[in-house]
Amino acid sequence: MKRSIFALVTALLLWGPGAAQLNKNHELVAIKGATIIPVVGEDIPEGVILIQNGRILDIGAGVDIPQNARVIDAQGLFAYPGMIDSYCSLGLSEIGSVRATQDSRETGKLNPQVSSVEALRPDSMHIPISRSNGIALALVAPSGGLISGKSGLIRLVGWTPQEMIVKSPLFMHIQLPGGRGRTQQDTTKAAPPQASKKIKEIKDLFHRARYYQKRNTAAMKDARLTLPAFDEKLEFILPVVHRELPVMIAVDTASGILDAIKFIKEEQIQAVFYGAGEGWKVAEEINKAGIPVVLGSLYAMPSKWEDGYDAIYRNPAVLNQAGVKIAFSSSDAALAKDLPYHAAKAAAFGLDRREALKAVTIYPAEIFGVSDMYGSLEKGKAANIVLADGDILELRTTITLSFIDGKETDLSSIYTELLEKFRKRIE
Amino acid sequence: MLSVRVLNAQNLLIKNGTLLTVTMGTVIKGDILILDGVIKKIGKNIEAPEKVKVIDATGKYVMPGIIDSHTHIGLSGTNEMGATITSEVKMEDVLNAEDTSIHTAVSGGVTMVHTMHGSGNPIGGENVVLKTKWGKASEEMVVKEAYRTLKFALGENPKQANSFNPRGAPRYPQSRMGVNAIIRREFLKAKNYMAQWDRYNKANRSNKGAKNLIPPRKDLRLEPLVDMLKGKMYARCHSYRADETLEFIKLSKELGFKILCFEHAVEAYKIAKEIARENIGISVFLDNWAYKVEAAEGIAYNAGFCTKQGVLVSLNSDSPERIRRLFNDAAKSMKYGGLTEEEALKLITINPAIQLGVDKIAGSLEEGKHGDIAIFKEHPLSAYTLCEMTIIEGEIYFDRNQYLKEREEKAREKKDKEKNKEKKGETQ
Amino acid sequence: MKTSHYLITIIGIICFFAPCSTFGEDSPTYAIVGCTIVPVKGMPIEKGTIIIRNGLIEALGPEENIPIPADAEIIESNGLYAYPGLIDAQTSTMLDSPKAENQSSSRPSPASKTEKKPSWQHADFMAFDHLKLKKSIIESFRKEGITTVCIAPDKNIFAGQSVILNLSGERAKPMVIKNPFALHINFVTARGEYPSSLMGTMALLRQSFLDTEHYCLHRGKYNQAPSGLKRPVYDPFLETLSPYVSQKSPVVFNCANLEDIKRALRLKAEFKLNAYVSGASEAWRVSGSLKKAGAPLLVSLRLKPPLTSLFVNQGEDLKKKAEEEIYPANAAKLHEEGIEFALVSSGLSKPSDMMKNMQKAITAGLPRETALKSMTVNPAIALGIDAITGSLEPGKIANIVLAKGVLFEEETKIQRVFVDGISYEIKQAPKDAQPPAINIAGKWEGLVKSPMGEITVAIVFQQEGNQITGTITSEIGKWEVTGGALSGKNLSFTIAANIMGNDMEMEFYGTAEQDSIEGSISTSFGNAELQATRAPGRN
Repeated sequence: MKRSIFALVTALLLWGPGAAQLNKNHELVAIKGATIIPVVGEDIPEGVILIQNGRILDIGAGVDIPQNARVIDAQGLFAYPGMIDSYCSLGLSEIGSVRATQDSRETGKLNPQVSSVEALRPDSMHIPISRSNGIALALVAPSGGLISGKSGLIRLVGWTPQEMIVKSPLFMHIQLPGGRGRTQQDTTKAAPPQASKKIKEIKDLFHRARYYQKRNTAAMKDARLTLPAFDEKLEFILPVVHRELPVMIAVDTASGILDAIKFIKEEQIQAVFYGAGEGWKVAEEINKAGIPVVLGSLYAMPSKWEDGYDAIYRNPAVLNQAGVKIAFSSSDAALAKDLPYHAAKAAAFGLDRREALKAVTIYPAEIFGVSDMYGSLEKGKAANIVLADGDILELRTTITLSFIDGKETDLSSIYTELLEKFRKRIE
Repeated sequence: MLSVRVLNAQNLLIKNGTLLTVTMGTVIKGDILILDGVIKKIGKNIEAPEKVKVIDATGKYVMPGIIDSHTHIGLSGTNEMGATITSEVKMEDVLNAEDTSIHTAVSGGVTMVHTMHGSGNPIGGENVVLKTKWGKASEEMVVKEAYRTLKFALGENPKQANSFNPRGAPRYPQSRMGVNAIIRREFLKAKNYMAQWDRYNKANRSNKGAKNLIPPRKDLRLEPLVDMLKGKMYARCHSYRADETLEFIKLSKELGFKILCFEHAVEAYKIAKEIARENIGISVFLDNWAYKVEAAEGIAYNAGFCTKQGVLVSLNSDSPERIRRLFNDAAKSMKYGGLTEEEALKLITINPAIQLGVDKIAGSLEEGKHGDIAIFKEHPLSAYTLCEMTIIEGEIYFDRNQYLKEREEKAREKKDKEKNKEKKGETQ
Repeated sequence: MKTSHYLITIIGIICFFAPCSTFGEDSPTYAIVGCTIVPVKGMPIEKGTIIIRNGLIEALGPEENIPIPADAEIIESNGLYAYPGLIDAQTSTMLDSPKAENQSSSRPSPASKTEKKPSWQHADFMAFDHLKLKKSIIESFRKEGITTVCIAPDKNIFAGQSVILNLSGERAKPMVIKNPFALHINFVTARGEYPSSLMGTMALLRQSFLDTEHYCLHRGKYNQAPSGLKRPVYDPFLETLSPYVSQKSPVVFNCANLEDIKRALRLKAEFKLNAYVSGASEAWRVSGSLKKAGAPLLVSLRLKPPLTSLFVNQGEDLKKKAEEEIYPANAAKLHEEGIEFALVSSGLSKPSDMMKNMQKAITAGLPRETALKSMTVNPAIALGIDAITGSLEPGKIANIVLAKGVLFEEETKIQRVFVDGISYEIKQAPKDAQPPAINIAGKWEGLVKSPMGEITVAIVFQQEGNQITGTITSEIGKWEVTGGALSGKNLSFTIAANIMGNDMEMEFYGTAEQDSIEGSISTSFGNAELQATRAPGRN
């Protein structure tokens, strides 16, 4: 008896508090009549999705709907997986110019000890707006310095941070210099050596961390040896050094990317690039190295005139065609809802439209290691389902329904609240 | 653009495109004939006159050139921060035709911009309207038909709420009360100045030959305000909060000047009634918000809601990057606000044209208007579209296909050069 | 009496009786024979003679026609070319920085009721009152054949008023040809105060000109018939501007780019100014407007594209092309458009850079004859001094350049220059000059020993290649080191001394090691020995 209780408790603990709550949802829901775009597998015209206990129980054209199911008529609508924003500051930022509302950037160069989800504000006015545009999950990232801290993956619904966290820590974030500028200025002076200088600093840090741990382990075994003083930075970089925690490296210049690839190979760590604005220049090398790329916002200008006015727009297509796994991000909080439009902009400039859709659904799920539960509409995965009145990447499309982990979410936001309030003034 | 290219043809025939005229419906498989820079004919199966270049627009969407009614591109400098009231400065004095942002605009289908003084002062300077004729001399870009406008600003920016002043004492005004008061003060000064001139002119006329009369000193700071009081120039006022917007309307009536348009007006939806009644336009972002406290209640439904209440709404970018995606912003008004395709397109064409006083020459595809045209690959309100060609007064200022060709050629040349270098290295 | 005082007294007495050389009011008569005369106005004369008397050209022509006066010193010039002295119509060298002035005026006494002058109000900065005439710099101009310069202030919006100097001697007053020449205006901003943007500067310029017109109107009426009229408030700034706005004295607008030129031409039209355009490195891009407006053009040989230029913002390749081909061709393109101009050194710190860039301009297509015109007749007309200089004609000032070779060719060396009829031999680096073995730049301390006593000196050297310049300071005074050359370890230089108001040149010959210098100084009253070592501490 004790054993089975023990097993049950363990199971519940491993499942996580968020999922435990959702488990209470025994209701059976059937979405019927929508054109289903599962992203993995063929589209299903006029199919059925059965939802129970937070998961997709079944999905297909000829799925029978049990009698006790609550049926949602989705005739004329399109069912998509809830989208995934691969890099944003949702929950860490309210009003740009008010520092009191900004929590994504710590001071100092090395901050491996900070974790973005520990500053998450579930009540942020930006979260409902993003959610009501069909986005279900988001990677909330710290920025600044050389090592910014750790990011986490959250679901865009929940009363407390614990209810929102899907996976944390997700990545350790590293910022290499040579970032994309806003204006078209001559950046040939942005010396390539800078990125390699910073990489050397990180390598030194890794080296010191390894030695720190060695001394620690040895001292633990032999009381005669001195125990090294606690070093926060080294302590918190150890998971990266031990290859337990992957890194997301923010880098934009081609030379910086190549230097970073070398570093990743030498240290044999798992890594993802963020930004990679000049990735199109070294797409083959990125592909060979097997490094996925989370793209930055496409609402930006290329830093060099010679790269062409459309450099940032066509970057995703070039990377994708070279075989690199890409994912889109909003890289924002107030404009996080624009995630699908970055993908569509890339499609306008050469990216295959289906690949664009995958880059906001299954590809980020795979990159973040959560594709067993998220990223597509498949039997057994979490019921993150969005009903839209058109192509989810299109600007005029409206989301009519959004399920996250099998529960219908509230599509209202400060936008709709204020609209309603002042609509009453007219009436 | 790999070089400054302008094809010197002011005659063009655009054939077989889907013409989104904006004011007169859609013409499927339509032609537009432009002669001497003006749209001569819109119809079907127009025969190409001799020596007129033909653009095949089969499968493409042809719309009026986009008008951005609030930018700061094409200028050397945005604000004169050395003084609080700077009505004496003119944007036309500091034009910069070499600003690459003009190319950015033209690559996004924008053919006309209202480029303005910044919002650092309660009263800024005189703005100017330009055609984005990339490659031409600055004076050739000025649109003389436009209304004369003076920049006003209310709220956080002119009261310096978000900047820290390292130079000791903060400058007056530091509150919205002061911003209002200082504008009133300047107009009262202008009225006094006008009175002085009136008295001098009267005295000069009556005492013919009176040698002792010295005219008042001409004051370039007050002259524009006098022009406003005389109805020769109008206010374009940057404002965010609903209350400061209403106060400025009140002030304009108290002092006797006309407001053409409010810039940004993120809370316009709260007072759509009043703005519509006053016949004042608004020039807004579709969804840029929450970057300042006064923008914290700016909702994406603003443009659509106000349009439905009868307000003349235009969308602007106020950004050298966003300017090339105005058509994307227009599309969002269909989702946030329920506007139709035509209403959405009006936000970036005829509406800003009316606000700027250039609706007789721009803002729609109509015979008699300038040949300012943007050709898109997909419908301009689709997220998957891109601008392929931008034409101003019949001259092509942006041609994506030409651009791609040149880029390919350059890349090929570079490859050949490198191959030759390698060969040389091998034989040596 | 101290040894040094004794020394000074002796030197003073000797000086009183010693003939003071080169800088007297009295210049000898010269006959330059056998050269090819290029008068610029008129055809060149092969084998010609020029007679100089009293600082003026008395006669010139083919040698058969020109008899040589009995009192003339004959200068054999076979194989040489004689040109009019070149005129650099805008330079800002040899000027004291206006910063020194600002510092004093920004700290008014608490009791003083004078308002603080805004930093842009520098219209009353007279170049003549702030000249820093360094012999070495004057020599460097003459070395390039430049005999006449217009020194123009170049800082602040209303920069000040320029002066035209003939580079003879060292004392300012005798050198002045015209003072002031023009009011100089820059399209810059006053940082930290109004106007802090270009649009503010334009408004300020307009308001200033309007205020000047108003001031002149009021003052004019008041001067004619003051009775019953309010007295105009005295305004020194408007007083300074008056001649330029109402009497149309020249106003030179320094234009960094093509929009500046348009701004200048607009102001010219609005206020009917006698406006000149200077700088103008991209004048060719607005040649149409320039032709129409007819504003005299002073084109800088700085040749660098402005940062606003399209050619600089569209990629590295185009930028390189702009710096090496497109902008150096500015003058050539203006010439093709039929626009006349003067070439000036404004923006360059050394006249030798000007000549280097002249080569580039000629390579880019500027005809040599046009280049010559642009440094003789054209600047003379622009500066309003063409009646007395700018060409070789009888009656004009004897500003003459004798060059071995055609002027502006790379190998051509200038041998001798006449300014106001005073002859200056141009010392070129000796043909067998070796590169310097050491760098003697820095501070030195030394002792000068002469039969009359010893005095300590402090020397500061600057070294550029072989050329040495600097200063030598002692109890007696601070003097310039000029014409210095370091060939291997052999050091020679001239000390331009001024003792008791008399100018004296003393020659030093000696050797230099890394930390010590020794040699002898020859003066008209004997030799002195100099021994110097490097001053301790940071050099």
